[in-house]
Amino acid sequence: MENAAYIGLSRQMTLRRELDIVANNIANADTTGFKVEQLLVGTEVGERARNAFVRPGVSFVLDKGVGRDFGQAALEQTSRNLDFGIEGEAAFFKLNDGAGEAYTRDGAFTLDPEGRLTTQGGAAVQGDGGDIILDPLLGQPTVAADGTISQDGEPVGRLSIVRFDTLAALEKGGDGLYRNASNAAPVEAADARVRQGMLEGSNVNPILEITNLIEIQRAYESVSRMIENANDLSRRSVERLGRVS
Amino acid sequence: MRALRTAASGMAAQQLNVEVISNNIANMNTVGFKRQRAEFQDLLYQNVERMGAQSSSQGTVVPTGIQIGAGVKAGSVYRITEQGSPTQTGGTYDMAIDGRGYFQILMPSGETAFTRAGNFAVNGEGQLVTDDGYEVQPNISIPQDAVDVSISKSGQVQVKTAGQTEPAIVGQLELATFFNEAGLEAIGDNLLMETAASGPANVGTPGEVGFGQILHGYTEASNVDAVAEISNLIIAQRAYEMNSKVITTADQMLSVSAQVKS
Repeated sequence: MENAAYIGLSRQMTLRRELDIVANNIANADTTGFKVEQLLVGTEVGERARNAFVRPGVSFVLDKGVGRDFGQAALEQTSRNLDFGIEGEAAFFKLNDGAGEAYTRDGAFTLDPEGRLTTQGGAAVQGDGGDIILDPLLGQPTVAADGTISQDGEPVGRLSIVRFDTLAALEKGGDGLYRNASNAAPVEAADARVRQGMLEGSNVNPILEITNLIEIQRAYESVSRMIENANDLSRRSVERLGRVS
Repeated sequence: MRALRTAASGMAAQQLNVEVISNNIANMNTVGFKRQRAEFQDLLYQNVERMGAQSSSQGTVVPTGIQIGAGVKAGSVYRITEQGSPTQTGGTYDMAIDGRGYFQILMPSGETAFTRAGNFAVNGEGQLVTDDGYEVQPNISIPQDAVDVSISKSGQVQVKTAGQTEPAIVGQLELATFFNEAGLEAIGDNLLMETAASGPANVGTPGEVGFGQILHGYTEASNVDAVAEISNLIIAQRAYEMNSKVITTADQMLSVSAQVKS
């Protein structure tokens, strides 16, 4: 009898986790370079809650992982010459933030007091030959589609745009950063294009997320009702079968 | 339930966004104003199930893992130092900078402030000052009998006095540039201060490599684009509403659970 309650509970637990992820997607609907996430839910054949030989095994609901959609988001024009957007799916700027290499799609860069190109968080943006240093006494930097930065017509460096063979190797580190959780080294993304004066928005689809929200809520309610009905059934059986006439 | 706090962080972020946008719109007609933009970043993630963790004794590994984010935060609010359009005013001491650089202003405290607002005037002693009366550096004095003042693109201030045919040079304006202009600290009154993030000022003559030129008789308009700001405002409002919808949903789900009775 308790099987129904336990299965219902396993679904409710994943629904709550799905809600947490949808909430994070909606909160980041306006975050530069954010990639939408989704909980991957599957069935897990579990042991019976009670030892009964004739019944088939029951399947619980289990979250197997989080899927990320690395699809391209719309590029928004900011007209700032240190804002860069990547056109090309799943390609990243390579950074060095002191704790090792990090990767990001958020190209809202700035210069530190030494003229080094950094993120707003202070991680140094990596070029072909390490850090990229601009000369403030020269003109405004311009960036070609392949990432070459030049000042007054003279190239000063090239942004390193990389890609991973398996995107599952990436771990989100917060602050718009991704970290490499595997030993596989990233490769250069030759087809990705850099757009200056633009930033990539978030690829969260708000309508889809609100629909998910409703779906999660209704599913939660119906599972809750199912648990209630199962409990009711159990209570009535005890009342009726146990009655002494 | 984490969703409640996550959505609250989303609402707080959108509130900041609206504050930044409203400041931009309020300063739509402020001379030399540079619009600001709030940039958001995702908050830290909790690893519920680590990617690459062993999922069985046979050595199979979890391919993606489960990471749950805790919401959003404001990464930074930075100034977009795009050139504002020069507006012709005809004012004798109005100047706009076409290109990079800031005018240097001597504050009453003795510190140097920087500004793009070139709507200057002359005080009782004939010195070039801002409309708050702070002196422009290097000091420029306009003689009392000046009939005509002209300022060249390279910042040379020439004065024609009564009875003279040749204009006399009375001063040379200088501009300051920074490694990281976005790191300057705004102190109000169109003034900016140098910080550790901006780096030290590099002072030079207008028109040199890396410095802008002076346009006499113009002021630089604010670079706020009203249409873009209004559409950003709409986006921010909708995002705020969606986050509040998440809070409502999470609350209703909790209440459903609370009502289950046996």
